[in-house]
Amino acid sequence: MLSPLQISSYLAFAIFVIVVLWKFVKYATMPIHLRWELYPVPHEPEHEHGGSFFEHQNIWQLERKHDKLNELKEMLEEMLFIKRMFQNKRDLWYVSWPFHAGVYLILIWLALLFIRAVLVVAGIQGLVPIADVLIKIAGAIGVIAATLGCLGLLIKRVGNWELREYSAGVEIFNLLFALAVLLTGLFAWIKFDPNFDIAKEYMLSLVTFGSKPMPSLPNPILIHLILLELLFIYIPFTKIAHYVGKYYTFHAVLWEDAINKPGSEVEKKVKRCLQFRTSWSAPHIAGRTWAEEAKNPKLDVIERWKP
Amino acid sequence: MTKEVRIKDIGKPSKQLIKLRLEDLMKLPPPYDKPGEEPEMTEPKEEWRERYITELDGYIAIDVPFEKPKTKEEEQRLIQRFLEGLKKLLDKENNWTFLQPLLLSLEFCAKCQTCNDACPIYLASGKKEIYRPTYRSEVLRRIWKRYLTPAGKVFGKFVSGDIELNWYTIARLAELAYRCTLCRRCTQVCPIGVDNGLIAHEIRKLFSQEMGVAPKALHELGTVQHLKVGSSTALTPEGFKDIIEFIEDDIKERTGKNIKIPVDEKGADILLIHNAGEYLSWPENPAAFAIIFEEAGISWTLSSELVGYDAVNYGVWYDDVQLARIAMKHVEVARKLDVNRIVVGECGHAHKALCVVADRVLADEYNIPRESCMPVLWDIVRKKKLNLDPEKNNFPVTLHDPCNMVRLMGVVEPQRKILREICPQFREMEPHGVYNYCCGGGSGFAIMTSMNFPEWRNKVATRMKFKQILNAFKDCIDPSIKKYVCAPCSNCKGAIRDMLDHYQATMKCGIYYGGLVELMVNAMVDIEEPFIEMF
Ligand code: SF4
Ligand code: SF4
Repeated sequence: MLSPLQISSYLAFAIFVIVVLWKFVKYATMPIHLRWELYPVPHEPEHEHGGSFFEHQNIWQLERKHDKLNELKEMLEEMLFIKRMFQNKRDLWYVSWPFHAGVYLILIWLALLFIRAVLVVAGIQGLVPIADVLIKIAGAIGVIAATLGCLGLLIKRVGNWELREYSAGVEIFNLLFALAVLLTGLFAWIKFDPNFDIAKEYMLSLVTFGSKPMPSLPNPILIHLILLELLFIYIPFTKIAHYVGKYYTFHAVLWEDAINKPGSEVEKKVKRCLQFRTSWSAPHIAGRTWAEEAKNPKLDVIERWKP
Repeated sequence: MTKEVRIKDIGKPSKQLIKLRLEDLMKLPPPYDKPGEEPEMTEPKEEWRERYITELDGYIAIDVPFEKPKTKEEEQRLIQRFLEGLKKLLDKENNWTFLQPLLLSLEFCAKCQTCNDACPIYLASGKKEIYRPTYRSEVLRRIWKRYLTPAGKVFGKFVSGDIELNWYTIARLAELAYRCTLCRRCTQVCPIGVDNGLIAHEIRKLFSQEMGVAPKALHELGTVQHLKVGSSTALTPEGFKDIIEFIEDDIKERTGKNIKIPVDEKGADILLIHNAGEYLSWPENPAAFAIIFEEAGISWTLSSELVGYDAVNYGVWYDDVQLARIAMKHVEVARKLDVNRIVVGECGHAHKALCVVADRVLADEYNIPRESCMPVLWDIVRKKKLNLDPEKNNFPVTLHDPCNMVRLMGVVEPQRKILREICPQFREMEPHGVYNYCCGGGSGFAIMTSMNFPEWRNKVATRMKFKQILNAFKDCIDPSIKKYVCAPCSNCKGAIRDMLDHYQATMKCGIYYGGLVELMVNAMVDIEEPFIEMF
């Protein structure tokens, strides 16, 4: 029999996954946009100096090569180390990076808890001690780094004029929320669950859909768990989910340099978009499709700008 | 610390949000490090205040007269029209062209402020708050959140931050969209890939495509004139043919060469399109192209057809519909001439507009290859099709990288390889290549000359480039040593010309400017007289 807490854990996770997926789908299904890449584009073979295929003649005949390895390297450096912030805003990086790295470790910790539970269920006991060690390392470093980073981010966000001025209330709230989850987690870990045994048992109960009993949870752990679930539900609706955006800004805009050759996929998409109808109100636009607007310009202009 | 201007102040009823003072601006290197070396800043005239928007910083980019709302109803109408435009920017059919990049940039900015110090305008202004790359983005973001998202409607200020949408906000935002050169240097450093330059671009589009409002140099005298008369310079097909004759005569006079410039020759490999500003302001540039192409045996032609002799496409700065229209005309001309490809001359934004951005408004018979002139020129040098003597260019030369050609298109090395071959005293500016600074004339600023806008351009927008140029020549800054800034872009040349004039840098430091092909012709062994004149 599943407890309400277990059900809420499944639910929180499901909502998280579904809404994040929905966000990915939302951006993936947007129409093709005009090309707007920004160099250096790391998959260009000439990326060292930021060059592109335009440095050559007869670009349509050119056999395009992509340095996928370098693109991966650039991606990982940015994801794992926040390279651009390290290079351009070091003071903030000192708190932002520990926070992000800590969160990654906590996610790894969660994954390890899950893997460990699967190992137990599958009867592969030999690997469980290894998982136990890794869980301890990832969990301990993760929660400490993320908490310190989060605290640092909050202090910066509130204490630094340019960060505070540009933040809405919700951005401070997001950090407070994350900090509440982290602090309760830190407390629960140190005081009640130094070896993450309760966490392991709880995960096992989830993986076995309740056939393994749920451990009894001291109140602080219960509070932490509920807060964590709420955070999971909350994240995809907010900017904390900027990893979705980051994927698309780089892959769909800044590094997206596919040529529109006759008969190509790009051309097919462009043709569909050219059939969209405009409804802009300026006098030089006549409310026709983009294709018609482009071919037969209307060229009226305004004399004065009146309300 | 409290800064003088806050985000919500954009809607503050006041005569002028900020006032620039010379002493606040970024310091310049010698000989401009002493007071009195550069002209003072001026006040906007009173009559301008009545007719135009001086409420931002006192400078006027939008030279279409603005009737300030006199009643609450009028103000409401303006707000409604603005919001309608904003909705269309976020609508698939009306803005498929940039919907995805725009939404990403609106939704995901982490407000980390990593981007600010990459912006030459923000730095040059002495870090004036309103020029911070994130300032105008945040204003638009707050309006979007507050008025057009469910969360903003329910939770108000808590999710959107403080913003008031009134006529001050709208008018100032319109001007503020023209305080960014769309150089996208800030985007390069953003850890999320958020694009503040793009947001400025989209604000410009909102005003142009919804309200018909844009600087006259870009719209009425720019794209509209381009499509009607044939060129944004007002050059007609007849005028163009006259100039070509003049250039042929001039080549004969200066080099002794009899060159017949091919015009409207069907079936050539290349249709070469120049920024028509070259014919009027720097005819030596198309002349040099003609000399080089003829000498190298390239199969090429120019076009005398409407729009076909002017490569510019100002639409790329403020209006996607106009962008598409001009790009269509360019390829139509090429199609009629049955050329293999269009090659764009020394004009950065024309490069980007035709080869990159407009690549996705062309289809079927309108889709033909469009390329940069730089690899063509490098191939000519590399294959030794010209007899060049670098000693003829033995003076200090530095290279300006046009943002549109370099950071936004990746054409970085061919022009450098040429300079390394033919200019023994070539030196780089710092930073350079894809990390260069804009000349300050980007996004239309070079050709926007109404009222006091050039003062803002020269003082703020070009200041960083001027500093870079001075630093590149610091070992030879004495005016008796003639030096050359190679700027392979018409708009950059325009901005640099005005900059050198404003700071009297030719007189004080011996700095001259020009294109790349002029240096190539100057190095040609069989031309006796110097092709580049520096006096
Ligand atoms: S645009 Fe990028 S760098 Fe600038 S504040 Fe936003 S997230 Fe940070
Ligand atoms: S695009 Fe260039 S000018 Fe505009 S805000 Fe960014 S760095 Fe500044």
